[in-house]
Amino acid sequence: MSTTLTERPAAITRDAIRDLYDDYYATLDEVRLHDWPGFFPQDCLYRVIPRENFEAGYTLSTMQAESRGMLKDRVTGLTRTQMYAPRYYRRFPTAPRIVGEENGGVRTRHNLLLVQTLIDKPSEIVLSAVCHDLIVADEGRLRFAERVVVFDSEMLPNSLVYPV
Amino acid sequence: MTIPVRPPEGRLWPADADAAVPYWVYSDPEIYAEELRRIWYGPHWLYVGLECEIPNVGDWKTATLGERPVVMVRSAQNEISVVENRCAHKGVKFCQARFGHSEELICPYHQWSYALNGDLQGVPFRRGVKRQGGMPADFDLTQNGLTKLRVEEVNGVVWATFSEETPAFRDYLGEKFWKHYTRVYDGRKLEVLGYNRQHIPANWKQMQENIKDPYHAGLLHVFFATFGLFRADQKSAVDIDDEGRHGILISRKGEQEKTEAMADIRNFQGDLVLEDPRVMDVVQEFPGEETVGMITIFPSVILQQQVNSLTTRQIVPKGPDGFDFHWTHWCYADDTPEMRLRRTRQANLFGPAGFVSADDGEVLEMTQQGATPSPDAHMILQMGGRTIESTDHQVTETAVRGMYRYWRKVMGL
Repeated sequence: MSTTLTERPAAITRDAIRDLYDDYYATLDEVRLHDWPGFFPQDCLYRVIPRENFEAGYTLSTMQAESRGMLKDRVTGLTRTQMYAPRYYRRFPTAPRIVGEENGGVRTRHNLLLVQTLIDKPSEIVLSAVCHDLIVADEGRLRFAERVVVFDSEMLPNSLVYPV
Repeated sequence: MTIPVRPPEGRLWPADADAAVPYWVYSDPEIYAEELRRIWYGPHWLYVGLECEIPNVGDWKTATLGERPVVMVRSAQNEISVVENRCAHKGVKFCQARFGHSEELICPYHQWSYALNGDLQGVPFRRGVKRQGGMPADFDLTQNGLTKLRVEEVNGVVWATFSEETPAFRDYLGEKFWKHYTRVYDGRKLEVLGYNRQHIPANWKQMQENIKDPYHAGLLHVFFATFGLFRADQKSAVDIDDEGRHGILISRKGEQEKTEAMADIRNFQGDLVLEDPRVMDVVQEFPGEETVGMITIFPSVILQQQVNSLTTRQIVPKGPDGFDFHWTHWCYADDTPEMRLRRTRQANLFGPAGFVSADDGEVLEMTQQGATPSPDAHMILQMGGRTIESTDHQVTETAVRGMYRYWRKVMGL
């Protein structure tokens, strides 16, 4: 029997986590950007950070947000102010590994490949990363209280346009 | 000042010499090879890193100057050396990590060892084994060290040059740019906040041009224009050095308002509101009313002060049609935790995913795509006229014209 988030909000089961990720990555792959901030509680931490910064203890990130508001601003900036060539992004996550529990939340890790396809170009890897996530129950659904995407990639192929 | 035009064989330079530059400057492999020789390995200071990246004797950082790998190493308490990362024996790039610490520099291939300043110290089996083999008696350790570059550490930044002819760094900047430089690099100790690295598939000069071109800033960068960070109608200036090679774009922050000049900015977003404006929590921290000082030091680096975000952006050319772009975000060592957080937040505007900078990476790539197939067509650089001089406004391409005039001079074209 499948578990739906609305029926069992408090239980952060493996199935619920799986559903959360399926929903999250489908939302991004389908570029439903305005739905993306809803995967995070009001207070949250979102970082896409180079591995060398992460390991040195630096918090400086390629993308950073400290609230759902900042995530919305990222979408606004992207959709209303930024200029970029058209492209497809597709994300290839591995299955999440549960690494701990914290104040009722669940910490997970999984690997992620982000592949982009530009017009007239072969598909290429934008980044190869490990995601450090903290999943919590919030307002009757699961959300990412923290999502820190630590990418190995030393040299990004030009821009990182959409969120990961 | 006009200089005669001498394009290479088979190429033409437009008659409007200062205000038109042909696209073969972005794509010709022979021109690129000559640039490496005359510019990158010639009489110019190149950015290597920050002094604070290698605090202890034996700390080193690898970097690339032009296309050549180097090691920047603290060789003594008060001495920084920059040596080529190329073993004198067989050419091995012996330091492979970005950062490290060691007592000496050793090549893994045959274990030739060098002192931290690049002096060759040891060659295994130099005297042979049981009277067999070994190096000739006249092999001189002192003549076979690593290639040492000239180095100056200037208010926290390490500069190096391959040429003996390069003037002292302060003279290389000139007094005007010494003043611009020391406004931010004022002798206070610096500290690294983090790095960003991206490969931009565009000729390296395009990056210099981009930060010498204030005309685009309020047009391409809707984020800048909308929030008043950098816009044509704000009090601003462009300064260039006497040679035309260095430039600075100076501006001061305005408000999010619709002004007369905004009619020309098609996509100004007057109704745009940030949900969480902490990313725009700007404080005035430098003397004067200017909030922006974007310096281009020819040829290798951009020194960014955009509100409270401070970076060095190093250009590493990778052939005529691409360059690596290394961003070092930094703060002052005595910054409060609040100031560090502010600088870190504002970094959302810059780097490969920056609300502003991502536009630049994209448009540079698009320029390379459009220009490369038509090497004999040329760009139009007439905004602000044809002269090359400092201005008290930003509706000009004067600093781009200045760079190309200097470029022709040093390239002998």
